Amino acid sequence: MSETVSIRVRSTVSRRFPRGFVPRVAPAAITLVVMVVILLICTVMQPRVLSTIGLTLVFSSIVPIVFAALAQMTIMSVGDIDLGIGAFIGLVTGVSASMLKTSPLIGALILVGLVVAYAMVGALVQWRKVPSLIATLGASFVWLGIGLTFLPTPGGEPPQWLLSYAAWTPPLFPVPVVVVVVAVALVWLLTQRTGWGTQVRALGSNPIALARSGTSLLLTRMSAYALAGVLGILGGLALSGQIASGDVNASSDYTLVSVAAVILGGGTFFGGRAGVWGALFGASTLGLLTVLLTLLNLPSALQPAIEGAIVFLALAGRLVVEKVVK
Amino acid sequence: MFRRPFSIPAWTYSFVFAIAVLILIVAVTGRGGTTTFLSALALVPYLVLVATGQMLVISAGPGNIDVSVASVISLAGYVSVAVATSTGSALLGVLAAVGVGLATALVSVLAITFASVPPIVATLASGLIVSAFTLSMSNGFSGTADPGLHAFVNAQVLGVPWLAILVLLFSIGVALMLAFTVYGRRLLAVGQARGAADYARIRPARVVASTYFISGALAGLTGALLSAFIAPSTDLGTDYLLDSIAVVVIGGTLISGGRAVPAGIWGGALFFVLLDSLLNLVGWSLAGQNILKGLLILAVLFLAGGLPRMGRRNRRSSPTDELVPAGALPTPVA
Repeated sequence: MSETVSIRVRSTVSRRFPRGFVPRVAPAAITLVVMVVILLICTVMQPRVLSTIGLTLVFSSIVPIVFAALAQMTIMSVGDIDLGIGAFIGLVTGVSASMLKTSPLIGALILVGLVVAYAMVGALVQWRKVPSLIATLGASFVWLGIGLTFLPTPGGEPPQWLLSYAAWTPPLFPVPVVVVVVAVALVWLLTQRTGWGTQVRALGSNPIALARSGTSLLLTRMSAYALAGVLGILGGLALSGQIASGDVNASSDYTLVSVAAVILGGGTFFGGRAGVWGALFGASTLGLLTVLLTLLNLPSALQPAIEGAIVFLALAGRLVVEKVVK
Repeated sequence: MFRRPFSIPAWTYSFVFAIAVLILIVAVTGRGGTTTFLSALALVPYLVLVATGQMLVISAGPGNIDVSVASVISLAGYVSVAVATSTGSALLGVLAAVGVGLATALVSVLAITFASVPPIVATLASGLIVSAFTLSMSNGFSGTADPGLHAFVNAQVLGVPWLAILVLLFSIGVALMLAFTVYGRRLLAVGQARGAADYARIRPARVVASTYFISGALAGLTGALLSAFIAPSTDLGTDYLLDSIAVVVIGGTLISGGRAVPAGIWGGALFFVLLDSLLNLVGWSLAGQNILKGLLILAVLFLAGGLPRMGRRNRRSSPTDELVPAGALPTPVA
């Protein structure tokens, strides 16, 4: 009796979804559930969280983390890992609070140069067969150094347009949520619906096949790193707008947080997969967690421990659900 | 039979770069090379200890990495001082510090083995939990390291720190263990091909778990020694996370696992410590120092990346191998 039921359940599931869809989507879905639960707990504690202004306040601190996670996701989709994204975002806040304010043109040129520099790190990884872990680690020292050159001590002021963006609170919709959703949708289109996106994911899953199809591995990896650089710059601008200053060390923990966000969203270290929405849910979960811990008014020393425990719980929950789905 | 034109040990480059930096320091300051080298030796052992644990973890296969070492070192520093002060025994303090590392590793290992959490996330999360303890302990902490332990880490013979000699012997022991013991061969086998090791009735999960315990214990030990050498602080271990990974990889250990090069750790650690003293000597700002350090690491990678690697036996297949005609591929030798 029970066997018939399980067979019926399985056949309905398989009829409704293409093969491999459920195991691929389940991790991101679970993280989404965790995210919603944390948001609900926040709302219970402080009902105004769900108002437009509440969501704006909550999500403005999450926007930079989401961009960091998207950048990390892009690098991880080619099978690499980026240990420099935290320092890079800090560098961008430094540029934003110094050059971009005083001489916008030079500031913009510097940002373009930084994207090129990011692509060069990708070129080093591909051309010299260097492990990405150590290449991006070396690059992180360079980012930190350049950042300190522009802004030796935290402070400065970002350009006016960035401040007015950060202060913009239209009554109808929370700006940061819209920004995040639009950014994620664009990256999703780019990685899932374009030929270039397919090449990037192929570089992560089967570089030999990609090389034999006549695609330049070097250019593909460089362009993936360039996209990560662009996302890092957007994250840095968002962060400097949010803190209304620059701080080269403000985002040093983004590196590992972004990796955790991608993994929470169902990403892997083996490349070939670009879980864009998963990265969004993972980053939002970790960001909301900080908000929740602030609302709980816990001693600040305890906060990292609870963050660590929640990461374990989310991943353990994912394991349980994966077993059930199988 | 096809052979590579020549093969050199994987640790060569790390020593070449260390010597190059040493020569630069002598050229810049006019100080004697021996003095510079000996003063570097005071800091190298700590990095070598942490990096040895990191190397064993990384060698256990792709994805394995221990990012909790920094938090463990910081907490172990406080714990060793606190325990040594309350019990009056430096040894108990050191043992407690090692215990901190083992306990952290236990949390990571449980998550990695039973919940399939990727190691980088598992060790990150356990490191976060550890850092919460560090923050709680550091509040109003007053205590200084045991004088005996302080004297031990500063003891020298003919200008060479005793600790450096002991850690060198330890490194030789690790190298022998990897080459000649069943455990060492199993560890490298798991790192090279986990599936094949599983069929050979090696239990990969156990071997992988053991590397995290060793890494945790070594990080705890380093924290205890460092707290006696410097002083306990919340960021005692911060620099050791990225440095330990960098030193391991520059030393020639494969980031994808299966090849551990203990000798390279010494080259890499000397390179890093000498690099830091060079950067201090040139008197640049913090900004310039970081840029120079990063560019030098990237230059090292650029130079070492395309050069021939160690002998055939430990060579791993890379995508380019597929493009080599089948006849030209080396045949395995019994």
